[in-house]
Amino acid sequence: MRSYLTVTAGLLAMVMSAALLLAAGPENPGKYFVLDNGLRVFLYEKRDLPLLHVVTGFDVGSKNETDETSGLVHLLEHCILFRGTSVRSGAEVSADIRRHGAYFNANTGQDLSLFEISLPAEHAEFALRNQKDILFGLDLSQTELDEEKEVLLEEYNQMEDDPQRNAVDLVLQALFPGHPYGRSVYGRREVIRAATVEGMLGFYRKYFVADNCALAVVGDFATADMERLVRDVFGPLPKTGLRLEPLPMTVPLKKSVSQRFERDVREGYVFLGFVAPDYNHADQYAMNVLAEVLGRGVNPLLPALLRGERDSVQTVSISYLAFRFGGAAVVSIKMDPKDMATIQRAAVGYLKRAHNEAYSKKDFTGEAEMFAFDYLESAKNQIRFAVGQAEESGLQLAGSLARHLLLNTRDKPGRYLDEIGRVDSSDLRKTAARYLGKGEYAAVSIVPRKGEKQ
Amino acid sequence: MRAAWLLWSCAGLLMTAGPSGSPGAPWREHSEKSTLATGLPCIYQKDTSSPTTVVGLFAAGGKSAVPLGLDGLAYLTTRLTLEIPDEGMVQDLMSQATRLSLLCSEDFSAVLIECLSENLKEALRVAGKIIQDPLITGLRIGRTKEMMKLYGRSEEDESTAAAHNAVMKAIFPGAGYGTAVYGTEESLGGAIDRKDAVAFYRRFFTKKGLFFYVATDLDKGPVRALLEKYFAGFPDGEDVSIPLVYPALPAVRDIALTRDSKQTYVGRASLLPAPDAPGQAKGCLLETLLGKGPGSRLWGLRMTENAKSARASEALDRTLADLQDKGITDEELRTTKTMAKARLLRSAEAKASRLRTVGLYEVLGLGHGHLTGISEALDKVTLEDMNAFIRESLSPDRILRVTVGPKPAGATAR
Repeated sequence: MRSYLTVTAGLLAMVMSAALLLAAGPENPGKYFVLDNGLRVFLYEKRDLPLLHVVTGFDVGSKNETDETSGLVHLLEHCILFRGTSVRSGAEVSADIRRHGAYFNANTGQDLSLFEISLPAEHAEFALRNQKDILFGLDLSQTELDEEKEVLLEEYNQMEDDPQRNAVDLVLQALFPGHPYGRSVYGRREVIRAATVEGMLGFYRKYFVADNCALAVVGDFATADMERLVRDVFGPLPKTGLRLEPLPMTVPLKKSVSQRFERDVREGYVFLGFVAPDYNHADQYAMNVLAEVLGRGVNPLLPALLRGERDSVQTVSISYLAFRFGGAAVVSIKMDPKDMATIQRAAVGYLKRAHNEAYSKKDFTGEAEMFAFDYLESAKNQIRFAVGQAEESGLQLAGSLARHLLLNTRDKPGRYLDEIGRVDSSDLRKTAARYLGKGEYAAVSIVPRKGEKQ
Repeated sequence: MRAAWLLWSCAGLLMTAGPSGSPGAPWREHSEKSTLATGLPCIYQKDTSSPTTVVGLFAAGGKSAVPLGLDGLAYLTTRLTLEIPDEGMVQDLMSQATRLSLLCSEDFSAVLIECLSENLKEALRVAGKIIQDPLITGLRIGRTKEMMKLYGRSEEDESTAAAHNAVMKAIFPGAGYGTAVYGTEESLGGAIDRKDAVAFYRRFFTKKGLFFYVATDLDKGPVRALLEKYFAGFPDGEDVSIPLVYPALPAVRDIALTRDSKQTYVGRASLLPAPDAPGQAKGCLLETLLGKGPGSRLWGLRMTENAKSARASEALDRTLADLQDKGITDEELRTTKTMAKARLLRSAEAKASRLRTVGLYEVLGLGHGHLTGISEALDKVTLEDMNAFIRESLSPDRILRVTVGPKPAGATAR
């Protein structure tokens, strides 16, 4: 239904997942365990409201597709959500969901497919049994598949009408040519149109298995009771022994690329993509702080610079998308179309020089230190604030936890906020040099069609 | 002050609910309303789900308070209260990750202060200083207007927002509700000047026009003390009530906005009764029944009628007509109530989103306690009440049709 192509969503997920999971300690009610069939589970008590949030993730996304199957994971996600199982039709599933007051959704990204349900905590057993049923018991007819294809193709149109979603999709394609991350999560229309039940179920049976799955449950429950319930519901699923071959890591572009698209918009949109560290890379912490200093937060450097160039610059932000086999720093700028070339040049020029910046008071001496603004400390505080805010939403927490269970490959990654706290100004300069200074970039511009009134 | 009528198309804004006060409420800690020593009302709610604090300073002047031709005045003025003149103050806020932002809706404008709770004192010190003594100068007004022009254009790139604005303009011609929140070419081009902004500020930023909502992990006493210390300068002010304005359906019931997009937005708007507690509960149920989640009445259209806008439009009308004609069953009402209550609870889970809801309830006269009261109001809706509400609300003579997309052959578009 949704896609992880939303830049901000990707960023938040990144921050949150690590922050929470790694915060688990004696004072924190989180519990991690693995079922015999390989299904990974994290339970986290959040008892301020009588709600329960369950997110089930699978290690399958557009990265697992080929040109011939591009779009099938997203289509499969729709079918799982809305087309029923061997014991319940799609309409019956929807009716059950409503009867229990549940919010029900899913999203497909480059790495993962995540399925979420959120409902009053008294219906915990329904939530788990419903998710197990739809996720591991898909039954699909060609008619149902054909209907869902139409829905998906409309979603494709919707994405293309939205300049921001469209631009992120395009910039990632341009940034990772030849790599699976260079395929659109939305897929190819012709593949979607030609999909067969047999092909879909083949894909489904391979990836939607317990040992390729992680479950995060957040909400108003007692951990011991919830563990028993999880074991009872998901324990009987078979172990398949699925082993996924790792993909090659992404590599920087050899040459910068620029693409321009005309749409029926009044504003101009520029998106710049740089290759960035992956989810498990040691540079991820510095990259997160750098993105905060340059393009997010209260008063970051890049927007200030670009607004100084042209008043017409409306929004500027930088997002860091950390994938399993690579990453991207995506700069998005919205402005008056007539200023686009100037602003793009200024943005690229600044980012390439970002390794020379003084980010901390400690970069100065004497009187200058007193008057210098400490961008580094500010960014760290902003990350703490963002983590704090994200802790308020149970569904967001559950999604981040499921994501972390599937993407993390480190044995002891360290507590997220502690790692952020250790980043210093020199780390920021090194990271800027490594990913923004030397690396080529991919630029996508979306502009009003020629002749349209501004 | 309260909006007399609502649209179901925008009911989402008005129906998002949450907690307070009464026994049996879902929140562990209920909201409490009291008056600070400075005379300003304050709604306080303890919430330990995160180490952050959200403070909203609500002014009872939103779009409804904007005079004819001065579109954007409420937003402009509220935005000016956030201008920080002193570089040192900016640095303090930035370094502590404190965020100042604003909301401007139909019935209120609000300044939001969000921070790590450990930095609340400094956040309130700076915010208190700038909000109580804003720099309303020609230069700053000019810059803010330029920014608003960009926001307005950006909003026009979104079909849903464009449709909502067009409907409001059509049913509230000549009234504040029908004005554009980010202004128009004329209002920003010259109609609004400094004296308008000063007058708006002096009218609504007073003890009679303001109240606080605070959601925080901190205890009540210290928070109250800080608010009393740093927000002591507002004058008493005059009465801020705004005359009720009633919507009217235009003679032409079709609005078509042309856009060269791949998709077409198809919508229907209907006038609903004023949002007293029972009316708001029924509006909330209608919204949930029609369009919230898989299995809702409109959900079925997704499966079969999405390919052509004309077919989708006909199917939407058929669905509404069928519901108006036959009403719902007792079981469907029960299911819709369950769904609505859970949805309201989720929508008020985070502090910042709860703040919007509580502020709106307070301004509409439903009170902060309606965050819990909405649940009881939903329970009280009978099948007979609900079906009567549906018959009236979905009556074809109360419906306005709106389309945003490619121009159909032979149609007249705006």
